[in-house]
Parts: sequence; C-alpha cells; structure tokens
Amino acid sequence: MTRENALKLFKCLSDMSRLRIVQSLTLGEMYTELLAERLELTPSTVSFHMKKLEDAGVVVSRKEQYYTVYSLNRGILEQTVFQVVTSEPDEIDEQQKREEQYRQKVIKAFFDYDKLRSIPVQRKKKLICYERIAERFEIGRVYEEKEVNEIISPIHEDYCTIRRDMISEGIFKREDGRYVRLK
Amino acid sequence: MRSFIEYLDGKLNEGRAEIERLSAEGRKDDADFAKVSTNIYEVCKTVSQALISRPGAGVSAIGAKFEHFRASWGAALDKAKQHDDAKAVAVEEIKLAALDDVIAHFQEVKEA
Repeated sequence: MTRENALKLFKCLSDMSRLRIVQSLTLGEMYTELLAERLELTPSTVSFHMKKLEDAGVVVSRKEQYYTVYSLNRGILEQTVFQVVTSEPDEIDEQQKREEQYRQKVIKAFFDYDKLRSIPVQRKKKLICYERIAERFEIGRVYEEKEVNEIISPIHEDYCTIRRDMISEGIFKREDGRYVRLK
Repeated sequence: MRSFIEYLDGKLNEGRAEIERLSAEGRKDDADFAKVSTNIYEVCKTVSQALISRPGAGVSAIGAKFEHFRASWGAALDKAKQHDDAKAVAVEEIKLAALDDVIAHFQEVKEA
C-alpha cells in the first residue's frame, strides 16, 4: 500500500456509517438492499458509501443476476495499523500528480458528464477539454469530416470551432478533407 | 396555506435536528445528505411564500412549480444513473423523496 492509499483508507473509514457497513460485512457478503435494510439507510445512500469503500480498496464487488454483491477485501483489512502508517509514498512525482489534479478539476468544471458546458477561454483549460474530446477518436485512424462532426456535435453545439481548434492545436491533422488524430 | 407553511417549518426543524444528530454520530456524508433534504423543504417554503403573495399566481402556480422541479430532478437522476454516478444518484433521489413528501402534503392542504 502506498502512503496516498493509506490516507484514502483512513479518510474512508472515518465515517460511522461506513464503519457499520464494514462491520456488517464481517458476517459475510451482502448486497446493497440487504445492507440498507440492516442499517436503516436508503439503497442509494448505501451505494454511495460502497463506492467510497470500493475506491479505498476496503471492499470488492461482483455482479450476481440483478444484484451487486459486496465482500470485504481482507488483504487490506488484515494489515496492521503499523504497516499502514509506515507505507511508502507513491512513485508518481509530485508535479505529475498536481497536473493530473488540475486536469480533473478543469474537466469537472467544464463537463457535465459527456457534454461540454462551454469552450474555455484560457488556452490551457481549452487544451485539457479538447484532449478529453480527442479520446473519442482513435490515433492514426482516418475520419471523414462528417464523422468528426457526428462525434463532436453531441458534446458541444459549436463543433466547427472545436474541430478547427483541434487542428490548430495539433491534435488533428487535416488532409484532403479527412482528419487523423495525432495525439 | 398557513398549515402547509407550518408543516414545512416542522420539516425544517426536524431536518436541522437530524443534521446535528448525524454529525454528532460521526456520519458526515449522511449529515450532508440530510442537508440536501432539508434544503428542499427550505426551497419549497420560499417558492410557496413567494408565489402565494404574487398577484395572479396562487395555489395552482405552486403546484406547477413543484411539478417543474420533479421533471427537472427526475431528468438529473436519469442522467446520473446513466453515468453510474453514485453520489449524484443518492442526491437526486433524496431531493425527489423530499419533494414527493411536500407534494403529498400540498395536495392534502389543497383538497381540505
């Protein structure tokens, strides 16, 4: 476990509802509705807590017909507190981590799920948004302009501006009316 | 309408007590969800008071506003489910549950 994951684990478990969920799971695997009934919470609230527990590595899930069944990840929980608090820092360097956090912040601010709310004015933010849109295209594949428009237009109504900007930013190369994603 | 506003005030007081209780129990996220629910009662109270005093608006305008909220939050819930956004699903469901409760009481008052 890295130091960052240890922090995530402690943050996740410092909540009484999640601790109660973990305690319930010590009795065996359970699905959301059963946990909700036991803990007198709504199923959607339990799902929210389960997502946090899963992200922190405390629980694992599997699909079973209509249900998601959760069980404890004993590998994490059987570590001693000493092992957890003495974990090593993540190997990703700080600069890279800060850049990724900034990227996520911009995406959260400018995207409503798959839709771009508005085209950022600041170039750095605009590039982050365009890189996110570019993920819809395969690198090296040739696209007709009509295809490019069909992919971008559900994301933002001003698809022409975005398409042109993506060429000038070197994300796309345009040749004979065809487009290729470069990066 | 006075009894409806009194009911909303009662729900606001219950909500505030619930937020305090959950916070004291170390259930911060559940307390945040209780804040969402309490806020809906607050919004409904503000909207009701504003519309009832507006000339030409009145009781039917309040019902229409509540239905507008329901459609808008229902759409937000569908979107959250589509994107498997557990937090947004929980928030939208809490908002809709509080609104359904408000609408049910509003109907009772209207029919009385």
